[in-house]
Amino acid sequence: MSSNSMVSRVENDCVLILERVFDAPRDFLFKMFKEPEHLKRWWGPKGWEVPVCTVDFRPGGVWHYCMKCVDPNQGQFFGMESWGKGIYKEIIEPEKISYTDYFSDAEGNLNDSMPSTEMTLEFIDFNGKTKLINRAEYVSAEALKTVMDMGMLQGITETWDRLDEIIQSLK
Amino acid sequence: MSGKIPGVNISTLSALSETNRINIVELLRQGPLTVGEIADQLELRQPQTSKHLKVLSDNGIVEVQAEANRRIYKLRPEPFQELDSWIQSFQCVMQERYDNLDAYLKELQKKERS
Repeated sequence: MSSNSMVSRVENDCVLILERVFDAPRDFLFKMFKEPEHLKRWWGPKGWEVPVCTVDFRPGGVWHYCMKCVDPNQGQFFGMESWGKGIYKEIIEPEKISYTDYFSDAEGNLNDSMPSTEMTLEFIDFNGKTKLINRAEYVSAEALKTVMDMGMLQGITETWDRLDEIIQSLK
Repeated sequence: MSGKIPGVNISTLSALSETNRINIVELLRQGPLTVGEIADQLELRQPQTSKHLKVLSDNGIVEVQAEANRRIYKLRPEPFQELDSWIQSFQCVMQERYDNLDAYLKELQKKERS
């Protein structure tokens, strides 16, 4: 892992926060997230490419993409296609992008049985460089509803840190 | 989608997100105990403790072993490992992407200079 990145976990409703500094001015970095020709060059994890990447960059607009595994060393994943669909919520250029990321298919259908992730990206000017704060909140509509019904969101919030300690101690 | 398929069990989180239950889990970290021992240490009534243990057991967070005429409750590491591995895999995937972005930015900046 790069020493530029700091990873922390925050209590609210299963939010993961990643922070990273990029050696690029803010406007330039923002373009990397906005323009599909750039986005497809880095969005795939190691060994995965992005053969399809269409972006309608506005609130309510859709980002539809396909990640394909091209690495024969990844066993069962090799050749696999994983489709995602992002629906943009808030866009404040060049400061902020928020969207919900869903599992999808080639036709752009949402897969409701899989969890979705609320992603918020904040771009902060940092002496000519840019600090990126990526918040990801794991949401499964059904699970969230159950949890809300049980009045337990507050409980999850309070116990998250303690849970973290337990996880670490059981490793 | 932002990564490989996660195996997180939201019901595990729900089962844990209650103060008494997380207290029980923290207690059991130190070693297996009977209902009575748990109730004593946490100053809870036994029926209430049994109720919480049932929720934890239904969610695979604890398991019971019968020893002579005692029922011993023990923590199962699997649900925590599942949660942890989801968190790790999401973090891993995002880190990889940002590593890629870093390298891509350098590539673009080099081109601009030449």
